[in-house]
Amino acid sequence: MNSASATVRRLVACLVGGLVLALMVGKQEGNRNDFGIAFHEAVLKPRIAIFLAIGLVIFLLITFWPLAGPYLTRPGVTPLGAGVLTVVAAQTIMNWYDPLVNDTGNGKFSAVRSAADSTSALSQLTVWFFDWLAWALVAAALVACAAAIVTRLKIFGYLVAAVGVAGAVLAYLAHADILNVDNRIDHSLGVYADVIGLLVIAGAGVAAVYSRTETADTRGFFKAVMSWRPGLPFAVVGLILGLFAYTIDGWFGALQLNDTFAQARPDFAGQGLSVLATQYLDWLGWVLFAGAAATSLLATFLRHRLLAWIAAAASVAGVVLTFSTLWSMTNVGADVAPQFGVSWQNLGAGGFVACIAYTLFLASVVTLLVRGRKGTKSTGNGLPVTSMIDQVRKSPIATSFLLVAIGFALFYPPTLPITWQNVLVGQIGVYVLLAVGLNVVVGWAGLLDLGYIAFFEIGAYTTAYLVGALPVKPPSWLHMAPIVAIPFAVGACLIAGVLLGAPTLRLRGDYLAIVTLGFGEIIQILAINNPGGFTGGPQGPTIPHPELHIGGLNITWGQDNLPYWYLLLVMLIVVIVLFWRLEGSRLGRAWAAIREDEVAAQATGVNTTRAKLLAVSIGASTSGLAGWFFATQIGYFDPSLFSLQTSILIVAYVVFGGMGSLPGAMAGAAVLTWLPQFLKDQVPPNDRQMWIGALVLAMMIFRPAGLLPARRRKAELEGFDDAPMGETMAVPRAGAL
Amino acid sequence: MSQSESWLQQLPQNIVIGLEQGSVYSLIALGYTLVYGVLQLINFAHSEVFMAGAFGSYLVVDKITGTRHIQGVMVPLTIIAGMLTGALTGAAVAWVLEKVAYKTLRRNGAPKLAFLISAIGASLFLSNLAGKLFDRLPNNAFPVYFDVNHVVFRIGSAKVHVLELLIIVTALVMMVFLDRLVNRTKLGRGIRAVAEDAPTAALMGIDIDKTISRTFVIGGALAGVAGFMFGTAFGVFNLMGFTPGVKAFAAAVLGGIGNIRGAMIGGLILGQAEVLISALPFVGAQWNDVVSFVVLVAILLVRPTGILGERLGRAA
Repeated sequence: MNSASATVRRLVACLVGGLVLALMVGKQEGNRNDFGIAFHEAVLKPRIAIFLAIGLVIFLLITFWPLAGPYLTRPGVTPLGAGVLTVVAAQTIMNWYDPLVNDTGNGKFSAVRSAADSTSALSQLTVWFFDWLAWALVAAALVACAAAIVTRLKIFGYLVAAVGVAGAVLAYLAHADILNVDNRIDHSLGVYADVIGLLVIAGAGVAAVYSRTETADTRGFFKAVMSWRPGLPFAVVGLILGLFAYTIDGWFGALQLNDTFAQARPDFAGQGLSVLATQYLDWLGWVLFAGAAATSLLATFLRHRLLAWIAAAASVAGVVLTFSTLWSMTNVGADVAPQFGVSWQNLGAGGFVACIAYTLFLASVVTLLVRGRKGTKSTGNGLPVTSMIDQVRKSPIATSFLLVAIGFALFYPPTLPITWQNVLVGQIGVYVLLAVGLNVVVGWAGLLDLGYIAFFEIGAYTTAYLVGALPVKPPSWLHMAPIVAIPFAVGACLIAGVLLGAPTLRLRGDYLAIVTLGFGEIIQILAINNPGGFTGGPQGPTIPHPELHIGGLNITWGQDNLPYWYLLLVMLIVVIVLFWRLEGSRLGRAWAAIREDEVAAQATGVNTTRAKLLAVSIGASTSGLAGWFFATQIGYFDPSLFSLQTSILIVAYVVFGGMGSLPGAMAGAAVLTWLPQFLKDQVPPNDRQMWIGALVLAMMIFRPAGLLPARRRKAELEGFDDAPMGETMAVPRAGAL
Repeated sequence: MSQSESWLQQLPQNIVIGLEQGSVYSLIALGYTLVYGVLQLINFAHSEVFMAGAFGSYLVVDKITGTRHIQGVMVPLTIIAGMLTGALTGAAVAWVLEKVAYKTLRRNGAPKLAFLISAIGASLFLSNLAGKLFDRLPNNAFPVYFDVNHVVFRIGSAKVHVLELLIIVTALVMMVFLDRLVNRTKLGRGIRAVAEDAPTAALMGIDIDKTISRTFVIGGALAGVAGFMFGTAFGVFNLMGFTPGVKAFAAAVLGGIGNIRGAMIGGLILGQAEVLISALPFVGAQWNDVVSFVVLVAILLVRPTGILGERLGRAA
């Protein structure tokens, strides 16, 4: 193609992109009397110059990018980019503590600036920081770091380091200063990202001038850090977190209380705390922490296996005892702070951070304890997922990271603000479960199911029927407690999956898509139209919360989010482990074969109908499980929640995350359900869907295999260029011939 | 059985209404089927092309009529202007859509479902951008510049209103036009060749990229006209595309996706089925959508590739 005309085209595209951006961030909404007003406000005002300039800058960057080429592989570039991105994100989209906002203490960086201007209690430095200093520091560090990377003069490196560290200190001080305006609970994360980003930039400057190599090896650097003393980095991070937990962080917070670990003991004295918990607050906590920290640090440093076993035992004991103390504190908390009742929300972050620290200690010594299994026989039949399981089995570091991930999943959510807990349990968790189930159908078996929400709905309504929440009551022998309804909800969806699948699965790809779409629509209309008064129509049922009584164990799920989170985690882990094993199994391989070429699969002896039917019904039953959880957790639902748009969105989650990849499906669902909640504070609420659409579109353009692509799919995209015209590659390439 | 008698009495009128709805479905379904023919992809953003056409024509018609009362020769001129702008807007949006959401992915060799998702993203984006620019109320009626309910003629007890006649006639004209275009012109031959076998078509000297782009433009123009007529009948708003889009997609599948005549027939059948079956005494209008999907599933179970079979290249 003619390069001059290509450049002109690129310029036009960039400028048009600027125009569209101007329309997207316009504050003005159109109205029925003057449809053009939003357009006029967005485009025919001086502000359009800014957006055209943005387009122009992007154009220049793309056009002159090749000139920067030789320098891009030098040491320092990757951390500089990561640091600058983090800081810019922190100062544009993340939350900061805003004294002018009354309820949540959340505000944008720019909003804090205006608050800082209007408050007299702040130091001049704080006002400057929010006004211009923060951005000036980033710009100075960026320029100096670029100079350091290009010239490799030591003086520039020192300059970057000085600016970065000074910026980090200033950001922390300014944040602390603004917190002092009125001492409310701060849930903002902006300052932490800002500090970390600035420190990373400082490190980039040092790396740029001190590294002796010409090309950067970031991965090698991390590998070297992790393998010098395997596990030691985990133990060090654990030590830092633990110190925060036992000294600064609050353990129990209610209206008038904000107890640190040391303050909790006198406040809880004589309140009927269990003996163990009293001892824990008294001395056991400190001893456990010191013991676990010391033994794990020593064990990883000296590579001593006996010490490692002691550290592991201390860490496990630490997690169990800390958690039981927290449990005891919530029960007693009703007496200490009666206005809050028995609630997990009274707990501060401290206890949970301590649990995370213990998990890190455990993870650090696992590197020593797992090593012995290195020689285990590989099951390797060459499939990506089996080799992944082998890797986790054999690689100590992978096991450690898995442990850390589980630790965070268990103990991080309780420290979130209540609104985010609601989002996590009611939205993210449920949709992750749905995406994992749909991944079986779409990602593995390659069947496009656009009516997946129907099974979710069937699961929810089955639960409602069995607990007697629908107008039509079940016979008394079928009337059951919510927790007992799980297998029935799952079973109902399994049967529904077979009923839908049996007649339709002989249809090919796109026909299946429309039939399932119709199925989803029909199920929703059935629920709304209320035939025979079965569903109760548009109002929907009210479901009691589940309870579990086995022997001496009594668990009641009520208003608190935390018990639901642990229930969900158990369900998720069971489903994920099952599916993980399934992917590498005979059935999983049959699905892969069907997805790639159904005729060939049939020819090699795969019973395609059976495999496809199993895929649909397994996916459906996962959806039923999610439906049960959704119904009992939310307590009330109506049919409008099960719209076709939601169904299509779940497909979008799976493909966005990376089709056919379990972590991908989970990540896609988590990111795309988290995003609307996040955007709620950033853009006008009506515009949320627009930004999500733009993001999904951009994602598919720049990373079509998804967020965390399945290895197999990645190989298809990158490995061989001249791929066969199968199901995955049926689309003609642009510019072919 | 007085109810079934009344169903019989209403039959001619319902057939006319079914024809009207069916023609709109057909026009939109043609866009789905054309794109499916050349790319083997469902263009999920097609419903937003339809919506864009409705808004484009609304703006022009609103500009022409304003608050004035229009009569005489200006009425057909305004209608023609509305159709033209609808077609132009639809074509322009479809062209940009192909460039942004499809061509870039084809260049990267993306997996098939990635196209579907990028189209869903584009659809979300377009419908909400339209909502932002043109407000989100579901009741923006077109200005009344002719008596849409004027009865042109009667067939038995059925009244044929001027709007219904306009929609049916326009749709038929456009379908015949498209059929000629695809079967008789060089461009049409190119489209059929790409649909049959893209790599071979490229070897024969057909510019695949241009052909695909033009296919989108043709489908977009048809959807734009449909948007104008649908908007005149039911009003314009930013989410207007979804339901007719899904129905039209069902119609395209019903007729055999990728098959142009199939899409026309599928749309007409679906329109009739929807109106006639939901008018049955024991069904009712709230089962409208269920009826269309049940009909679809029933026909697909008998003929798994649709009424007229699949490919654009072969059957058209």
